[in-house]
Amino acid sequence: MRALVWVLAAAAVAALAIVPFTLSPVMVQFGISMLLFAVLAQGWNIIGGFTGYASFGNSVFFGLGTYGTAVAMVQFHLSFALGLVIGAAVAVAFAVLIGLPVLRLRGHYFAITTLALSEAVAAIISNLDIAGRNQGLILPLIRGDTMFYELSLGLMVLATLTVLWLARSRFGFGLIAIREREDAAEVMGIPTTRYKVMAFALAALFSALAGGIQAYYLTFIDPASAFDLSLNVRMIIMAVFGGAGTVLGPVIGAFLLSGVSEVLASYITGVASLFFGLVIIAAVLFTPKGVIDAARRLPRRGLAYFLDAVRETRL
Amino acid sequence: MSGRDAGERTVLFEARHVTRRFGGLVAVSDVSYRHNQGEILGLIGPNGAGKTTLINLISGTLEPTGGELLFEGRPLKGMAPYRRAHLGIGRTFQLMKPFPGLSVLDNVTAGALFGRQPELAMAKARDLAAHWLEFVGLGEKASQPADALGGPDRKRLELAKALALQPRLLLLDEVMAGLNAVEIDEVVALIQRIRDGGTTILVIEHVVKAIRKLSDRLLVLQYGQLIAEGTAESVLEDPAVIEAYLGRRRG
Repeated sequence: MRALVWVLAAAAVAALAIVPFTLSPVMVQFGISMLLFAVLAQGWNIIGGFTGYASFGNSVFFGLGTYGTAVAMVQFHLSFALGLVIGAAVAVAFAVLIGLPVLRLRGHYFAITTLALSEAVAAIISNLDIAGRNQGLILPLIRGDTMFYELSLGLMVLATLTVLWLARSRFGFGLIAIREREDAAEVMGIPTTRYKVMAFALAALFSALAGGIQAYYLTFIDPASAFDLSLNVRMIIMAVFGGAGTVLGPVIGAFLLSGVSEVLASYITGVASLFFGLVIIAAVLFTPKGVIDAARRLPRRGLAYFLDAVRETRL
Repeated sequence: MSGRDAGERTVLFEARHVTRRFGGLVAVSDVSYRHNQGEILGLIGPNGAGKTTLINLISGTLEPTGGELLFEGRPLKGMAPYRRAHLGIGRTFQLMKPFPGLSVLDNVTAGALFGRQPELAMAKARDLAAHWLEFVGLGEKASQPADALGGPDRKRLELAKALALQPRLLLLDEVMAGLNAVEIDEVVALIQRIRDGGTTILVIEHVVKAIRKLSDRLLVLQYGQLIAEGTAESVLEDPAVIEAYLGRRRG
């Protein structure tokens, strides 16, 4: 059963890899967005799903990745690869610096504090000459959707393999223990502060790399789009919808919800977001543990699975 | 009874004039005692006497506002709880704190992975966890989710989790509360077996019969102060202790 899942996953990656050579450019563009969302959802999964810290700061890491890459390329004429590295380094450094004080807060307090980060950093960036103030930056134009697509796919695979390692490693075990009960985890010998900061930094790494790819792909960035809080909300919804704290859940959530929102947006533009909202409410009610959990237990439990879920959410 | 021949014993842990204030409240006040290697110390006292606060101070969940804690002569001041765990200080919680989303086995595995023997491989940690589950009598429930366990089994799980880090000083916070007489006897036997394995134990307990049977010495706290210390027989007949528990005799 386990082996089968991974054979299927490998086949899925192979199938995704040939998309640019078989499907239309529109599909490739949709694919890039979907894959980058999967990376973001997986990044959130590390800090939110495994460690249990509902971060609203991941869109800041994404924004720092876009700006780090853009500033390196536009102002210093560095290569894209170097830009990605710089963007990621800035985001990771920021995660460590801000994580040390902020990760001392728990639950809602942590969420609210990280919520404020997006606005604060966007305001700072808007006043920096080197970052183009609030007009933003225009990156060199490149036509290479296939390159961006394959890069995004590679990053998504890397993020997922990292989470797979987490799920089996001592470090990941420590993160789960922190999520389940932090004070008990600490007296059991788990260096909670260090582990939380490391998880935050790892989440920042993947969010920033996704941001760097996005910046070069769109060739234009400004503070409003780079530090968009709704992006953070979407990655949380995707991760939770698929199954937070699982290896494949966030990827599946990102794929399904990207698909749903794309279909809704193209057929019934006006009410698309309403339907999207309904899909999410239904998911929270009936599959609160994510699509992955439902797929695993539904065959055995049948419809009773949904009833149990509704009972557990106490509605 | 190897635990009772005092004299040439080495001191594992020492509290020197330890005080902990919460604003105007002094929860632990100028407490000093020595805990010998291999000894079971019983810690008793009325509710609110500061017993759990003392355990929190030793395990590092709280820092003292005054005084000194020494483990093997080494000051614990400023040392994070996880580092004290690595030194070999393990504890249970009065309100049991299993990791609810994990299986019983994984709960204990977490302790084995991060305990006194760090860098333990995952498979090795699982084996060790299985061993401790067997030891506390939870072997058959290893694969159940931890939040499905009933009260007595949760107490056992709490014990197994603390044991998995292979503590040298084990702090037990009311592991017998809510158990019936048979279960209490089982836990008493369990604690004796843990001590026979070489572990030094501090045990908070309200069940006087059990603590009298277990303890080599008793400490009595009242209003944060150590009011009596000695063998169970002498301490339980001490008028100050009787008064602390039953109140002053009228007339």
